[in-house]
Amino acid sequence: MGKYVVRRLLHVAWIMLAVSFLTFLLSYLSPGDAAMKKLNAQGVAVSEEVLEKTRENLGLNRSFIVQYADWAWHALRFDLGTSFKDGFPVSEKLLKGLKNTALLTVTAILLAFLISLPLAVICAIKKDSWLDHLIRLVSFIGNSLPNFLISVLLIYFLCVKAKLLPVVANNSVRGLILPCVALAIPICSRFIRQFRAEFLEQLGKPYVAGARARGVKSRYVLWNVLHNSSIAILTIVGLSVGTLLGGSVVIETIFRWPGLGKLAMDAITNRDYPVIQGFVLFTSVIYVLVNLITDVSYHLIDPRLQERKGE
Amino acid sequence: MKSIKKLCRLVLVLSLLLCLTACASSAGDSSDPASGSSVDSPASSQNAGNQGQVDNAEPKTMNMAVSFFYPSLDVHKDYYGWYTSIYGISETLFRVGDDMSIQPLLAKSHSVSADGKTWTFELADAKFSNGTALTADMVIKNYKRLAEVNERFAYLADFTYAAEGEKTLKITTPEIYPTMLSDLTSPELGIMDLDGTKDFDNAPVCTGPFVVRTFDVDGTVVVDKNAQYWNGNVNLDTVTFYYMQDDDTKLNAMQAGDIDGYTSVTAAAKEIFAADPSTYVLTVIPATRLQFYVLNKNTLDDKVRAAINLTVDGSEIAAYLGGTVSAAVGPFSASAPYGQVKKPAVDTAKAKTLLEEDGYVMGSDGYYAKNGKTLTVNVCYYAARSLDTIAVIMQDEFKNVGIKANLTVQEDPDATYVATGDYDLALYCMIADKAGDPYYCVSALFRQDSKWALGGFANAQIEALINELQYETDVNKRAKLANQIVQASIDDNAFGYVGLFNKTTVTSNGLTGIAENCPFDFYGVTAATDKR
Repeated sequence: MGKYVVRRLLHVAWIMLAVSFLTFLLSYLSPGDAAMKKLNAQGVAVSEEVLEKTRENLGLNRSFIVQYADWAWHALRFDLGTSFKDGFPVSEKLLKGLKNTALLTVTAILLAFLISLPLAVICAIKKDSWLDHLIRLVSFIGNSLPNFLISVLLIYFLCVKAKLLPVVANNSVRGLILPCVALAIPICSRFIRQFRAEFLEQLGKPYVAGARARGVKSRYVLWNVLHNSSIAILTIVGLSVGTLLGGSVVIETIFRWPGLGKLAMDAITNRDYPVIQGFVLFTSVIYVLVNLITDVSYHLIDPRLQERKGE
Repeated sequence: MKSIKKLCRLVLVLSLLLCLTACASSAGDSSDPASGSSVDSPASSQNAGNQGQVDNAEPKTMNMAVSFFYPSLDVHKDYYGWYTSIYGISETLFRVGDDMSIQPLLAKSHSVSADGKTWTFELADAKFSNGTALTADMVIKNYKRLAEVNERFAYLADFTYAAEGEKTLKITTPEIYPTMLSDLTSPELGIMDLDGTKDFDNAPVCTGPFVVRTFDVDGTVVVDKNAQYWNGNVNLDTVTFYYMQDDDTKLNAMQAGDIDGYTSVTAAAKEIFAADPSTYVLTVIPATRLQFYVLNKNTLDDKVRAAINLTVDGSEIAAYLGGTVSAAVGPFSASAPYGQVKKPAVDTAKAKTLLEEDGYVMGSDGYYAKNGKTLTVNVCYYAARSLDTIAVIMQDEFKNVGIKANLTVQEDPDATYVATGDYDLALYCMIADKAGDPYYCVSALFRQDSKWALGGFANAQIEALINELQYETDVNKRAKLANQIVQASIDDNAFGYVGLFNKTTVTSNGLTGIAENCPFDFYGVTAATDKR
């Protein structure tokens, strides 16, 4: 197991190198630069002389290779540089964004998991009943609604009409409720359908029929089904965590939640290369680590994988 | 079974950890609406102490939404000074009035030498929020710092500064500099107590009616009344500014009563607020952000350009945009003395006649063609400031007169069509009037070294007029020169002025004085701002 983890971690270095190079290249090739964006932020025209001076100060006049090598050299020493836009350290900005995004993501995933698991079990057990149809219909609707619409509807009904929650809530528990619910609704809907499909597959397997034929109690059969579905469930949840940790721009913008998604979007808009590069590195590492943790969890949950490895 | 139990335990432990994290966050929140990573200002603490002794009445508070946010309150850096001005923290030597006139603020009077190169300013008896008196030396230090930290103001280093006593400031420029007063209104030229400020990013010490209480880099700023404000009584005790980028969030926050006002109201929200005049007050005034297009003289001949300008209907576009813009005649407001220009009325019949005179023949497809080639105009735009909508409306208007328009959208105009000149018609949006003077815009649009020179309008004659404008000190003559230059751009059909964005502000009934009648974006709360 230890060697496996080390090997996977070594892969991270190659992935980061490839991803950072490609991102830097794409940013470099895209039209516009940080100097122009910075100076034109308010729509005020500036002279070519001022523009050139700003480019020089930001080091944008250097060749692509020199710029990338300079960035990579500093990144190797854990220095992600400072933002072109505001001069603040990139690592500070990313850590802050990550903290907020992680809080939102983990809460939303937990909420979605706790709701969707029992509902998916009910759907699988009561397959094709009116309850199954109803839950599937609701999950279908939840899955189809775009995030911004869910967010606006939640704000309108819960804040404006019912006045249960404030629209303006800062980075607090109350402020977490609405973005978390808005993010959890589509995840929950997706989980229900995916979990249900997995449970149905397990329920159709011979070991379930055998257990039932032997008169094993339903709850024991269900435990076994849950057990055997756990790897698939873990994969689904793990992939969702990995994706959501990249941030959700729409939710973060609507609810004023200062997470990674919005930080990245602003950086792309402003051609803030150090922040873009830092974000890409950060999310690559997170994604690979989440996948690694998921894979390691397989081994812990399913002893068959350990045995196969032993063979 | 064991694995499932493990999984359940893991979920429970994670839930517990999450609750603990969330509770930790909320602990900081409970005492203060703008918590998180906010920074308490020492100036504010001192100020709060003063206030506590003054009155025990219920504090007057106001909440505002702002559309942009910057991570620092350093008045001199980038455009941050715009926000410290909006928040009522910083002040400049002069300010621009609602009527675009330049009015004294921290400077009570000024004079200029006979050669037009030396400006003398008498400073007002202003004080910073920490009680320190404003001196000419402090102003000089501020301008020198600004020249160092902000590329757009590096030119300030070319001036010579001298302090005569505590309150007299002299600025000498290498050549005649008629726009000095206009420049001094720029919010980036706000004055800070450089020695008294310990934290420029979070708590600058300035002379404005409000001082920073907390500055949350995630987007909430709370300011308190400056108990030692030098320029009259400050009506409000506390103002909170929430950064809200999303238009629907602002609308909902206003409807829920979470905020008392905001600017840049969308057309849809405007309708909702207008339907309830007992609750909301809407103020719409023409502002300074211009939507315009450049017609490329190198690719379109005179009559085609004239036909295009006779076809584009600014009023129709303004109506379609729901009153968020006003139809423009020139780059400046028609109420300004330098906005006195004329353009021909929309006349599609005349446009067709011009095209026919130019040898174009209407084809069976409804488009004019010459020598077998359909008259096609490459309209370049970027999807911001409603330019995408304008491009589509223009395409439709062109079709009605027989001109085919191909739309080309670019994300970054300055790096693409503006830089290469690869357009027939280039749509663009910029602030045309920075501070009550036409030179900045005229120079940016029409000079031979401007980025629009590729459109072919700039020439030696226009350049001479702009040079004359640069050094002309008489305000009336300046306006006349600006009108002459802009009129030439209209007569030559080199430019088309579509609309000037309106500044649309909504406030809850009873709230007054948040610069709702000021066309500039960089003013907000003042000492006079009040809430009944």
